[in-house]
Amino acid sequence: MSLLTLDAVCKSFGSTCIINDVSLDIEAGEKHAIIGPNGAGKSTLFHLISGRYNVSSGAIGFQGKSIHNLPPYEIARRGIARSFQVTNIFPRMSVFENIRCALLWSEGYRYSFWQLVGRQKKLNEKAFDILEQIGLSEKAQLPSGELAYAQQRALELGVAVASGAELIMLDEPVAGMSNSEAENAVALIRRITEGKTLIMVEHDMNIVFDIADRISVLVYGEIIATDTPENIRGNKRVQEAYLGEVPCDA
Amino acid sequence: MKKQLPAWLGFALALILLPQIFDSVLGISILNQMTIWIIFALSYNMLLGQGGMLSFGHAVYFGLGGFMSVHALNLIADEIIVFSITLIPLVGGAVGFLAALLIGSFSTRKSGTVFAMISLGIGELIVASSLIFADFFGGEAGVTGDRTYGPPFFGIEFLQDAEVYYLGAFWLFVATLFMCLFTQTPAGRMANAVRDNPERAEFIGYSTRRVRFISFCAAGLFAGVAGGLFAINYEFITEENLNALTSGRVLLMAYIGGLGFFIGPIIGAVILTLMNSLLSNYSEMWMLYLGIMFLLTVLFLPRGFAGFIMMHQTAWQNRRLGILILPYLITAIPASLFLAGFVGLIELSHIGDDTLPYFGLSLGAESMLSWGILLTLTGIGALGVKLSRPRLDAAWMLANTVTSDDGGDAQ
Repeated sequence: MSLLTLDAVCKSFGSTCIINDVSLDIEAGEKHAIIGPNGAGKSTLFHLISGRYNVSSGAIGFQGKSIHNLPPYEIARRGIARSFQVTNIFPRMSVFENIRCALLWSEGYRYSFWQLVGRQKKLNEKAFDILEQIGLSEKAQLPSGELAYAQQRALELGVAVASGAELIMLDEPVAGMSNSEAENAVALIRRITEGKTLIMVEHDMNIVFDIADRISVLVYGEIIATDTPENIRGNKRVQEAYLGEVPCDA
Repeated sequence: MKKQLPAWLGFALALILLPQIFDSVLGISILNQMTIWIIFALSYNMLLGQGGMLSFGHAVYFGLGGFMSVHALNLIADEIIVFSITLIPLVGGAVGFLAALLIGSFSTRKSGTVFAMISLGIGELIVASSLIFADFFGGEAGVTGDRTYGPPFFGIEFLQDAEVYYLGAFWLFVATLFMCLFTQTPAGRMANAVRDNPERAEFIGYSTRRVRFISFCAAGLFAGVAGGLFAINYEFITEENLNALTSGRVLLMAYIGGLGFFIGPIIGAVILTLMNSLLSNYSEMWMLYLGIMFLLTVLFLPRGFAGFIMMHQTAWQNRRLGILILPYLITAIPASLFLAGFVGLIELSHIGDDTLPYFGLSLGAESMLSWGILLTLTGIGALGVKLSRPRLDAAWMLANTVTSDDGGDAQ
């Protein structure tokens, strides 16, 4: 059984149809990339899966249960974590606190007001482990709003993966980075998504073909192909609609 | 918490010693007010500073807690219920909590402007009902009680203000401790997270509404505790204690003190209580001075007095705080002249036919000389501040420059 199933999902804003009849199965453990020209609806698709938007019609299932139109926190609790295209962290809190907050729910603290976070040894160790993994141990006490851009992106990833979610969705994780920063970020993404399922929106084709097991091509709100990287490269429709005509951003 | 232990011991010691130092009737009375306002301001900061909820109606929980506490005092006096008045703040807290539970259940659905507007509306609603339900709220006259009935607490009957002070200080310490501990719980940390970025908080598994609701209920509880102390201290409460004036006052306290710091509202409550009880003896214009101070804080010290103190952290770490002392003093002289002149101008402008005693002079509103003296003073002060600023700025830069070794000679 697939981990995530999209069945004839549609999303319109007023009379404008942004996502049209999208069906997609994501298998557990696969690394799936979604590509497509600007304005194709990639981010909207992410928002639909993660609960920021409600679907207009169709169904989304995760681990066999329907999740569409649930609030984002319910979806997050079921094991879908995501990052954002524009850095979306807790700017006035320290780097360490960002990660620790991201851990709280999955570690079972819920809305507790009778436990002190400082006393929770396992929680704090786990947060430090993640900081180590994303290479921000040295900056642990710095307000996260003061980090450099690439570091904020790394923290963005850390906040997304901290909960140990089964499905991780990354929205343009290396956008705006220099080549060397992007290289580091790709290595980081590989490391932290090991053994997990990944859905990624990315414009940089080298990275997409490097990481992805399968690729879906989204054009004007419709998926025109879902296949392995080699087959996508050879797919006529994709070449016409996307690779051939519109040069990729990278 | 271990690191903070000295701070808490110092706090407890200060609470014990303060009435020995300021042992006049006025001193004790001001200290009593401070215990009330500090708890109230800290509870307000749970909303605005920690949770990002701008409330214009926080006095509702303070006032309802206070009214119920005065009624509890009366029930004790009538021997309908029997318990020590030392526990009255718990009555206030329970009422504040229940009111917040009820009102928060819908007001915390929203944040930002909508939340602020709901809080304003609820505030007006409660004020209006206070005039309608005259049995409970006592109409415009309010409700009076008497704290001296009920079983004595280890022989203390609370006839003296000093006895009331120690009761207030006890509750202040307990409430402050619990409010500080709350910030360190998962619910308290998530309140910060929701303040910073509500959207992301939802994507890490938290309902922002539930997070706000919990902070809101806690804030209502502690506001009610403050209301209970108010009832014990004044034995008297009116509609004014739950209206927008009181809500605005607690906002000013928290803001002037500094929203971003736990200690900020404490500083703000102390400053405003002092202004309210001391300055008002000297000048009818004290509200104007308060307003100007608020304006200046918003414009120049957005992080409040606590933020101003914390600005010196880098200099302290650089061990260069010392080089700021002289420039500060030098700027302080013309600044004081300016302040003296400015205050003189304001006072003279509404003195009417009286004369204004002013550093041994008698100034009159009709005399051009009087105006001239004050204007000159203000002008010289302003000029002096302007001239001494570059020196202060340079010292500030120097103090905040991180040096590789401390051997450098600070000029």
